[in-house]
Amino acid sequence: MAVGPASVARPARGAGRATSRRRLLERESVFSWVMLAPGVLFLLAFVAYPFFYGIFLSLQDRRVASAGTFVGLANFAAQAHDAVFWQVTRNTFVYTIAATLLKMVGGLVMALVINQQFRGRNLARAFLLLPFIVPTVLSTVAWMWILDPTFSVINWTLLHSGIVTQNFSWLGNATLAMVAIIMVNTWRGLPFYGITLLAGLQTISPDLYEAAAIDGASLTQRFWYITLPVLKPVLIIVTMFSVIFTFSDFQLPYILTHGGPANATHLFATYAFDIGMSAGVLGMGAAVALAMLPALAVLIVGLTLYLRRE
Amino acid sequence: MTTRREFLTVTLSAAAGATLPARRASAAPKAMTVVRESSFIKPFDDYFAKTLAAEYEKQTGIKIVYEATSVGGMLTRLTTIAETKSGPEIAMTALNWPHLFDKSLADVSDIAGETGKQLGGWHENILEVVVVNKKWKALPWGNIGQLEVYRTDWFKEVGVTKFPETWEDLLAAGRLLKKKGHPFGFELGHGFGDNHGWLYPLFWSYGGREVDKDGKTVVIDSSETAKAVDFCRKFYQETMLEDVLGWTDVNNNKAFFGEQISCTNNASSILVVGKRDFPEIAKVTDHALNPAGPKGRFHVINSVSHALLTHAPDQAAAKAFLRWLYDDKQMSRWLASADAYYAPFLHGYDNHPMWNAEPRYLPYKESLKTSRPHTWPGPQGPAASESVAKYVLVDMFAKACRGDSTKDVIATAAGQLKQIYKAK
Repeated sequence: MAVGPASVARPARGAGRATSRRRLLERESVFSWVMLAPGVLFLLAFVAYPFFYGIFLSLQDRRVASAGTFVGLANFAAQAHDAVFWQVTRNTFVYTIAATLLKMVGGLVMALVINQQFRGRNLARAFLLLPFIVPTVLSTVAWMWILDPTFSVINWTLLHSGIVTQNFSWLGNATLAMVAIIMVNTWRGLPFYGITLLAGLQTISPDLYEAAAIDGASLTQRFWYITLPVLKPVLIIVTMFSVIFTFSDFQLPYILTHGGPANATHLFATYAFDIGMSAGVLGMGAAVALAMLPALAVLIVGLTLYLRRE
Repeated sequence: MTTRREFLTVTLSAAAGATLPARRASAAPKAMTVVRESSFIKPFDDYFAKTLAAEYEKQTGIKIVYEATSVGGMLTRLTTIAETKSGPEIAMTALNWPHLFDKSLADVSDIAGETGKQLGGWHENILEVVVVNKKWKALPWGNIGQLEVYRTDWFKEVGVTKFPETWEDLLAAGRLLKKKGHPFGFELGHGFGDNHGWLYPLFWSYGGREVDKDGKTVVIDSSETAKAVDFCRKFYQETMLEDVLGWTDVNNNKAFFGEQISCTNNASSILVVGKRDFPEIAKVTDHALNPAGPKGRFHVINSVSHALLTHAPDQAAAKAFLRWLYDDKQMSRWLASADAYYAPFLHGYDNHPMWNAEPRYLPYKESLKTSRPHTWPGPQGPAASESVAKYVLVDMFAKACRGDSTKDVIATAAGQLKQIYKAK
């Protein structure tokens, strides 16, 4: 078969295109964008779009299935005069601060314990992850039974061990209901802290502890002067995540109390849902949800700046 | 008629009357979807999905897809459908939703008129819920009444052989029962039915009202409201468990079957479940109308209706299906499958055989006469929904029960209502 000049030239052109594509991809700036693109597109579609749409809605008097009218900051101004909104704000801060502190301390203890050598350590680690693995809806339904005044295993234990003389109304009493949702959130979030801090602990060189021990440092001193400083960046990151998740928690309070009794456990997310979805006032619901933003933004910026300085 | 197309042309043309051109019928859809909230009565769901849908498909060739949402999830589903203008052609509505979704719902006045004519006319009180600007935006199906549920054996133990007629008499019985270790359990938390189911009737029966008919004048701050609040506090403290303040709709059922409470407010599904799972308790369970107060006896309208979405591509076909469904031949059978769970708003069904099977359900039929929509006598609409969603009335009573002063709880509720109704 005769080989004409055209048929020789064709593969050369194809090969040239492939080479130029490869060269293009080898440029770091191009390659990094190609790798980032799916993630960025995902974030744009499922995070950025709803977020900006939420802002757009919050500036409108927008009822469900109706066209909205621009009202500027009127929805936010209306919130300022809503007593329930301020109660919700207080509830959210109490819930977040208490649950985060408990998770931080508990998670650190958990990480320190499971970092030790003992028989069945791997099994213990696997079990400790359970609260984090089980879907929140399922575990919360189980907690409904645990906290039920009639069938509560906690009440039964307290009553039969003689610690109390009558059952606690875990979800009927305003203070206890808040304690209950903090307790369940702590139970669910503890493994996140524990496992992340464990990863941090395992990066600490045993040489540091040995040197400190030779110098006569006590256990407490080794914790304060070696463990905690090295863990600090991890602790800050995990706290930042935990605060965000806890601040915007929805499933747990919604299933357990639906914000009751008398709004004692209503958080921003549950209140925003009730206003936006149950009442159909989408603009106001979006405004309540966005009320979370300033506090979270300050926290995230503050912690990020602190980390960069460190 | 030999082909499906011919059959459709004839059926749909006849059904839709002169307004339906044959050209539309020939383009009838292959399938339509009906979305409803799962009923507590499984045979009712099954009857639609397996019997009625199959019959309609056989007659018309149009497949009816039955989509069931979880209990409490229908409002969210309907919001998504209305906002995206896509999805099922026919949807269940509850409470005053036709007012909320007015612009997304088609006018079904023609079918409502025909059904009313065929079946003895509609109960007047349902019109407030489904008629928006003089147009029927949904076809009423039935009322899931919220009535008193009580243990006859325990009531007899304290000498009460007939359910008390007034709230004061119920309080007196409750005191005795609590002493005997059988407290009452009426929901005062953030559920979606069993709280409003007794608090609105109690409130109204003492003369309390949230807002006037004009929807602009908040009238909750009254001596009548104060009397209702004071009674409720006493009723709670002297007859109930503390936990009711945090209850949602599942708790009272659980407590009733756990034999922890002797009386609550619930739909008739509690007896259906009792007969199935707790037959011994079911034998000593009965229903009664809500007690009367100084200003009368009341119940809430907790209606279920069916609406046609405006985005449905073939309105005529969807209407033809609704017309078929609301014909006595189908409607009667489907209602009967629900064990009297839905009390129909049609006078033609006042003596329907479904009421004969279990006399203990009769109060649910009786209650229709004294049923009013939430926030009555205020107009149904977005503000009414907001008041209910924010639990203004429920929390007013709950706060009083936990110990807040009557004056404070009424002032808080009045403040909230003024903001919601944009009143001065």
